Amino acid sequence: MKRKTERQPCEAGRSMPRLDAYAKVTGKTRYASDFYAGDMVWAGVKRGGVPHATILSVETEEARAVEGVIAVLTAEDVTGTNRQGVVRKDQPVLADHRIRHRGDPVALVVAESRRALREAVDLIRIQVEPLRAVLDTDAALRDGAISIHEDHPGGNVLLEGTLETGEGEDAFAQCDAVVEAEFQVPMQEHAYLETEAGWSVLEGDGVLKIEASTQTPFRDRSEVAEAIGLPVDRVRVIAPYCGGAFGGKDGVTIQSLLGLAAMRVPGRPVKMWLDREESFLAGVKRHPARLRFRLGAKADGTLHALSADLDYDTGPYDHLGGVVTALGLEHAGGPYRIPNTRVRARSVYTNNPVGGAFRGFGVPQAAAGMEQVIDMLASKLGLSPVTMRLKNVVRRGDRNAIGVAVLSSTGIHECLEVLEGHPLWRDRRAWKDRCPPARKRGVGVACVMQAVGYGPKVPDVANAKIELTPEGAFRVYCGVVDMGQGNITTYLQIAGHVLSQDLTAMEPVLPDTDQTLPSGSASASRTTFTFGKALIRASKLLKRRILERATDLLMEEDPRNLDLVPGEVIHLTSGKRIPLSQIALILNREERFAVARYRAPVSRERPTDREDLRLHGIPHTVFSFGAHLAAVEVDELTGRIAVKKYLVISDCGRLINPRLFEQQVHGGVAQGLGYGLLEDMIVRDGKIMTGDFSTYIIPTALDVPNMVSLAVQMEEKSGPFGLKGAGEVAVDAPLPAVANAVADACGVRITRFPMTPERIMEQLERSGEPAP
Amino acid sequence: MKIDFELNGKPVSVDVPGDRRVVDLLREDLHLTGTKEACGSGECGACTVLVNGESRLSCLMLAAQLEGKSLTTIEGIGQGKDLHLLQKKFVEYGAVQCGFCTPGMILAALRLLRQNPRPTRREIREGISGNLCRCTGYQMIVDAVEAAAEEIGDERA
Amino acid sequence: MSGREARVWLPGSLDELWKIWSDAPDAVLYAGGTDLMVRRRKGGPLAGSDLICLERVADFREIREEGEEILIGAGCTIASLMDHPLVRQNFPVLTQAFKVLGSPPIRNMASIGGNICTASPAGDTLPPLYVMDALLELRRENGLRRIPIREFITGPGKTDLGPGEVLSGIRIPRLPRYNLHHYEKVGQRNALSISIAGLAAIARISAERTIEDIRLAWGSVGPTVVRSRNIEKALTGKPLSSESMEAAFPLVDRAVSPIDDLRANARYRRILARNLLLRLPFRGVHP
Repeated sequence: MKRKTERQPCEAGRSMPRLDAYAKVTGKTRYASDFYAGDMVWAGVKRGGVPHATILSVETEEARAVEGVIAVLTAEDVTGTNRQGVVRKDQPVLADHRIRHRGDPVALVVAESRRALREAVDLIRIQVEPLRAVLDTDAALRDGAISIHEDHPGGNVLLEGTLETGEGEDAFAQCDAVVEAEFQVPMQEHAYLETEAGWSVLEGDGVLKIEASTQTPFRDRSEVAEAIGLPVDRVRVIAPYCGGAFGGKDGVTIQSLLGLAAMRVPGRPVKMWLDREESFLAGVKRHPARLRFRLGAKADGTLHALSADLDYDTGPYDHLGGVVTALGLEHAGGPYRIPNTRVRARSVYTNNPVGGAFRGFGVPQAAAGMEQVIDMLASKLGLSPVTMRLKNVVRRGDRNAIGVAVLSSTGIHECLEVLEGHPLWRDRRAWKDRCPPARKRGVGVACVMQAVGYGPKVPDVANAKIELTPEGAFRVYCGVVDMGQGNITTYLQIAGHVLSQDLTAMEPVLPDTDQTLPSGSASASRTTFTFGKALIRASKLLKRRILERATDLLMEEDPRNLDLVPGEVIHLTSGKRIPLSQIALILNREERFAVARYRAPVSRERPTDREDLRLHGIPHTVFSFGAHLAAVEVDELTGRIAVKKYLVISDCGRLINPRLFEQQVHGGVAQGLGYGLLEDMIVRDGKIMTGDFSTYIIPTALDVPNMVSLAVQMEEKSGPFGLKGAGEVAVDAPLPAVANAVADACGVRITRFPMTPERIMEQLERSGEPAP
Repeated sequence: MKIDFELNGKPVSVDVPGDRRVVDLLREDLHLTGTKEACGSGECGACTVLVNGESRLSCLMLAAQLEGKSLTTIEGIGQGKDLHLLQKKFVEYGAVQCGFCTPGMILAALRLLRQNPRPTRREIREGISGNLCRCTGYQMIVDAVEAAAEEIGDERA
Repeated sequence: MSGREARVWLPGSLDELWKIWSDAPDAVLYAGGTDLMVRRRKGGPLAGSDLICLERVADFREIREEGEEILIGAGCTIASLMDHPLVRQNFPVLTQAFKVLGSPPIRNMASIGGNICTASPAGDTLPPLYVMDALLELRRENGLRRIPIREFITGPGKTDLGPGEVLSGIRIPRLPRYNLHHYEKVGQRNALSISIAGLAAIARISAERTIEDIRLAWGSVGPTVVRSRNIEKALTGKPLSSESMEAAFPLVDRAVSPIDDLRANARYRRILARNLLLRLPFRGVHP
């Protein structure tokens, strides 16, 4: 028998190129935005345009009269609940009586061409009675403030949570040194390259098919069905490779609107694709936040007391804002043992753009505060920032800052040890001394952690399905979206490892509510963690079945005498080989499939008895960690900060595909640097003033340094092959690491981010630093 | 307006409004969706194409301007098993994540290497500085372009 | 998206241009399109207008020496000028500005004439052209006039371009006596950025590091590029040192009139206008 001997089975722990990359480098990949068809129509919306108002009427006659306009819909035409959301379903598909932010969709137009669509949208008139706009969290919390949702018992406070441990704030009296500071961190735009896009068609059998750029096809299906009034089984959502998401497509964007539009033109595909400006206007953002921190330690640097107040501006809807805020609350004390803490976080409704999920999910805000005050405290005590942190970071078995025992793998101490021994830290003084004229150099560090998964109440479940095809290949039914992280490749790698197959013998089926099984969202650093574990189980089931049938076929008694190799089963004692295609022929259809479920572990700890906080995710049990170092050069003439070197040491468990892991680290750091240095979202009167790529500044290739990424690979038993989540933790640290480096370079610390040169210069002047 | 030009090495003739943007002509009329649009105003580079070998932004260029020109899109660089060296290196070096910037990025890099076959890492960063990527932090893209340049250099040597 | 189909012409020569333009006098002229297409997209009066693209007018693409001057065709792209030996050798300050303009594809499309006619206070080529006293050539069907750039640009987005007139070329004198050539731009990032403030400088520095002659022009700190003879005079004869520059700060404060915008506030721009001078003592001087 002729066979190729060079086929190497996939192996967990070994980098392999991404499966999706081949089609992506040739332009062949079909994103949701790439759909065009001859009979296709376009949908688009008229948006509120005012931050807060009561809608008196929506005048659509002129728009309807435009040639090529098929339908103009308003809230009256929505037969479902007209409400979307995950926890509190408070966001209308089409605004009914009230506009709560400038981007609220008020009327939906379906038209034969983009030109007719544009013309019709411009002709729609919304008559409103303005309401006082609530433009920041202080205004929202003030007595007598207008309620953005009159039916919400908490008024403008969407969620408030306080956690206390030990003696709480009373413990500050026992501290030898205390620092306090207030910071403001900005709204951040995801700026995925593919703006919100999708298409939909109402098919002959009455099923509404929606293909969208989304992270959450299964949740979308239920949300859309409920909002527009269809049974869930009449909605099918398909999620192709997505042109970036980072949390911004965690939830419905255009899906319900597409559904409404498609219902008006049965059989014809309807496309919707926001342009960049509309994406800025309508899309969710990282929550801006105000952070008040007070941190105290004993003279030897042992942290003793923490008080933190975090206020998140969630905009007008609970687009996961409560969950984001709860994660910030849980992470407020960072990866440290602090025996006495009081931390409070609030998610506050305003008429600003909608806050939502964004890589890091509330943690970058918390880390921005905590990682700066710990540096300030170290400096006050005359300790090096690394020594200070080494003394206080959690080790496995310790209790963290909210009093929860850390039981899963915990490598932050190891990360810091690697950092301490690295030349970028060890030789920092020499590097700083070699500074060019009119510049100052500094080195800063930050330590962060990021929870993996949904928390104790919401089941973090994945269902994997794998098929041995009649041709003898393996088809992996991927339930979780690949929005660019490469998890689909990792899934095949995982299945390939268990089944001893190479990538040529495997193919993925991308998420599709008709084809793949519900497996939750591509979010929460759980994409590979949870699904990977389910897939290992499914693959093992299928492997056993294949080997058992091969055993029968060979009249062998013990399946242990057989094993899988790429494309074949091998009989170890005789060397005889049976092609998998032959095995596939003798299995019936049901036998060729294996399905398995995994539910991620939850913490048994109860840092709070409030069920709503538990529902919002507190506490988690598995955490990834990172220690970052930034080396910066501050231009004393202009205040510009150049990040010259960047080091990341991560503990994300054992790596399955180190290259893909490193991609996540690099991308997270670049987004974190943008957050800390460049991305200054200016919102005035609820209006985004920096609503395009010429005014909202994200990093180019010349703004990101070469990064060094190292991994401390501590095994996490509950994860696939020892892995933890890796998608988010890297974004948490760059802001504070750079801020600490700037403070090290020139002694100034700004409190309002990002660290624009203007703000740096202002501080340099104020600090009496004479311009040279 | 009738416009004749060369598309990925083959002569084509189209009859479209002269003020149709090249990106729309490619995506909607010619079904070449490898060219992406992500900002519509020249700020992101996703719609980069090569016109007579020079990188240009197809969202800021009108169909009429193509008359008599040679236009190269990502579809004309390499397909299937016959990938261009740069495409291979993008795959091999992890330069691709979501992939939406990738076609424009590859064309920008191709233009760079034709102009400067042995660029430094700094020059590579400059060469792709008109192409925003939100996923990779650029480092593996720089690695891929550097590796391609080295291999081209080795072949010449 | 325009309400109707706009016509687009691509004249190959001046003669063709005049003919087309007289048939379609309301048509808007453009070269690279990097500004115009963005403005068209956002609607407004330009959205549906007919267009004349100048990128093929051969007369506008020339670069040639004319005695002590070099004539640059207004339609030359930034990229083609960056690579051109005559430009590189004679006008390093201009080349430095080209390198930080936009991005590679923008530089492949954008023309120097477009950068001038857009007349943005932040235009990257403008401060260098001001310090070199560039002379602009404006053509109409039956005539040619020459005007210094500082007279041509009259305000933000405003020029002295008359009806039926087109910028055809830029004349720049060779400036062999200058041995310090400097352009610094402060933007929000290192590429694809609009200038928050910029300074172009050319100077003659003696072997003893005395400023024998200096010309300075600031971008983005006033409605048009700021050039101040007072400052230039005050610095002449002074040593090339931080102290000399600091002594000129009060004059700088009087010369500039920056505004607040999304990119920076006026206060910061004022600081930059002063501080950018302090970079000069660190610049290399060619003997």
